Amino acid sequence: MIVVRNLVKKYGPQEILKGISLEVHKGEVHAVIGPSGGGKSTFLRCLNGLEPFQGGEVRVGNHVLSPATNPRSDARLLEAVRRQVGFVFQQFNLFPHLTVLQNVIEAPTQVLKLKRDEAIQRAEKLLARVGLAAKRDAYPKDLSGGQQQRVAIARALVMEPGAILFDEPTSALDPVMAGEILELMADLAKDGQTMIVVTHSMGFARHVANQVHVFAEGYDVESGPPSKVFGDPQHPTTKSFLAQTAND
Amino acid sequence: MRQWLGSALTACILAALVLPCTASADALTDMRKGGRMRWGGDQEGGGPYVFPKEDNPAQVTGFEVDLASRLGEYLKVRAEFTQAQWDRMPDMLRTRKVHAIINGYEFTPERAEIMDATIPYYVYALQLMGRKGDSRINSWADLKKGTGAARVKIGVLNGSAAEAYARRFCGELCAVISYEGNTDTMREVETGKLDATIEDTPIASFYAPRFTALRRVDEPVARGYYVIYVKKGETALLQALNEAIVLMVRNGDIERIYRKYGIWDAQQAELVDIVEKGRFYGYLKATATRVERNKMPTEESVKVDIRKRGWQVVKDYSGILFQSAGMTIVLSSLSFPLAILLGLMIALGRLYGRSWLRLPLTAYVEFLRGTPVMLQLYFIFFFLPEVGVKIPAFWTAITGLAINYSAYESEIYRAGLQAIPKGQMEAALALGMSRVLALRRIIVPQAVRIVIPPVVNDFIALFKDTSVCSVVTIIELTKRFSVLSMSTQATVELMGMTALLYLMMSYPMSIISRRIETRLGLEQQP
Repeated sequence: MIVVRNLVKKYGPQEILKGISLEVHKGEVHAVIGPSGGGKSTFLRCLNGLEPFQGGEVRVGNHVLSPATNPRSDARLLEAVRRQVGFVFQQFNLFPHLTVLQNVIEAPTQVLKLKRDEAIQRAEKLLARVGLAAKRDAYPKDLSGGQQQRVAIARALVMEPGAILFDEPTSALDPVMAGEILELMADLAKDGQTMIVVTHSMGFARHVANQVHVFAEGYDVESGPPSKVFGDPQHPTTKSFLAQTAND
Repeated sequence: MRQWLGSALTACILAALVLPCTASADALTDMRKGGRMRWGGDQEGGGPYVFPKEDNPAQVTGFEVDLASRLGEYLKVRAEFTQAQWDRMPDMLRTRKVHAIINGYEFTPERAEIMDATIPYYVYALQLMGRKGDSRINSWADLKKGTGAARVKIGVLNGSAAEAYARRFCGELCAVISYEGNTDTMREVETGKLDATIEDTPIASFYAPRFTALRRVDEPVARGYYVIYVKKGETALLQALNEAIVLMVRNGDIERIYRKYGIWDAQQAELVDIVEKGRFYGYLKATATRVERNKMPTEESVKVDIRKRGWQVVKDYSGILFQSAGMTIVLSSLSFPLAILLGLMIALGRLYGRSWLRLPLTAYVEFLRGTPVMLQLYFIFFFLPEVGVKIPAFWTAITGLAINYSAYESEIYRAGLQAIPKGQMEAALALGMSRVLALRRIIVPQAVRIVIPPVVNDFIALFKDTSVCSVVTIIELTKRFSVLSMSTQATVELMGMTALLYLMMSYPMSIISRRIETRLGLEQQP
């Protein structure tokens, strides 16, 4: 589904990602963990073309992003990639001028050109699934953070993407709401939704993910099934990171 | 985005180039073909030249109106008055917006350099006027007799020949005070605030019955000539007008018209002299055919009740003021949407467009913000015709205002667009939207909500700025007020009415804006 080869990202002279490679197959859940500043979010943003990169390539289905990919002249390619890969932001980024329902049907009607009725049908099903059917006509400002993030997840799901990228989806939430969101994501995983999740929740990485990647200083220092990474960490960075988050 | 902006720009440029550039035939042929002679005058100048009719202020009357229509009859065309700012007349002529200037334009060598002058149609002089029963001033020489605080106070029209004469004549020995209106000074002499005024003889004669407390002092001085100016090199038209003037002097038409307005005086004898002896600059003696003098019709005279004042004036003239307010509304509501659209495209181009677009767009904004709208209108109206782009006055006003305000609107939009968090664009892109779609559906709608208050503010400012359109011959509310206040004594009342009309137009805008804000605010993040 998603294949990353030797991805290099620089901000000026500074290398943020120093050659990341990984493969995500259909139905897998990958968790990306590690200390702050390790390049986790940047990595995720490279996967759907929100960030350009300087080396390697990203393959999504049949589409290939490369350092030569230009946000203007290759707009069609980027749009195609983004239709296959949904994105959920840390700060939700709901559209404040649209109601909950309008937020969810915006892309299906405008991008997929679905009929409005059809889009509404899809949206209502998803809003029911995230537990917000009653809020369909509310505006984002009237929702709690957790509710907003659930709308954002519905907004990503409604496009029926092959994979969804979650960029620290619970970092802006209090523990109770964060728990609800993680529960919802676990639920999606159970249904076979392919996901890459950048998270600080060790519980999610340990219990829901198939693969765990530890990012530090631009490298994927250690990766493998959670039992191996958590049970028998090899890399010193992994060890110290897990020790710090042991009480999580 | 790019294509949209590109095609819009191309369309603008094409529109500018394709507009008709009329081939310039000679003015007389053009007049004959169109069956009309457009002559320029400024009704703000007041009586007895060109001023609004009392019973129908949308139309003009005055001795120059009568003169022009009679000239038209001899030239077999209909005389059509064209309103323009007095000091802009030469430009009107140069750009062929009028065929002739007939508006108390004195003959001067400087003007004769840039325009062609006919023989005089009126001989004017400067008349000193004092108050009846004021024994101090009985001659021009008396003006210089006062000293210190007791210096003689003389009122003159700002920028007039009388002002120049008074300043030269008195030097430091008397106080010369400039006024904006012809009749203001006469009123001030009556009330005693001024000791004397100097007026062109037609004004002194025309208003004499209305200012009964004034008297003429001494002989008129500094004789001069009102002439008709045509575009340089329009020999055929010049010849035709000269022939018509000669005919009208000989057959008594001119005398009849001037008597009607009470401005026929001894000095006009010189007109006959000029006609019969060919004594005027380059003008050659008229053909010596005898002309039968027309019979003098029974004395008709014009009654202009200049003393008319009070709220009755407002009542009588509210109709025409409302009409002019309509022009103000039309001007602003046609130009402002254009300004908003243009401004939005410029802001989008500067923020999201290609990098080569940014410099020219920034230059556009800075240039238009940094130069007065009056000059921009002037440029479009009086300069573009030189390079073949002729835009009618009304559309000049619309275009000029729209372009000028687009610079301001683009800055407001730029601020509004920048206030939208980056995450909004990213969220839209992440859903597979193109940049154009994201801008159209997500970013611009949010920016529009933010900019409503400053945009409405600008709309209200535009309402009032439409008054600059008088430089391109448009009469809107402010110009109409100036014209009317010059020919009545109800300046204060008319001012009140005009202010009220502006308020009636702008206040509802404020209310509507607040409503929209409240409604849209409901959905926005607090």
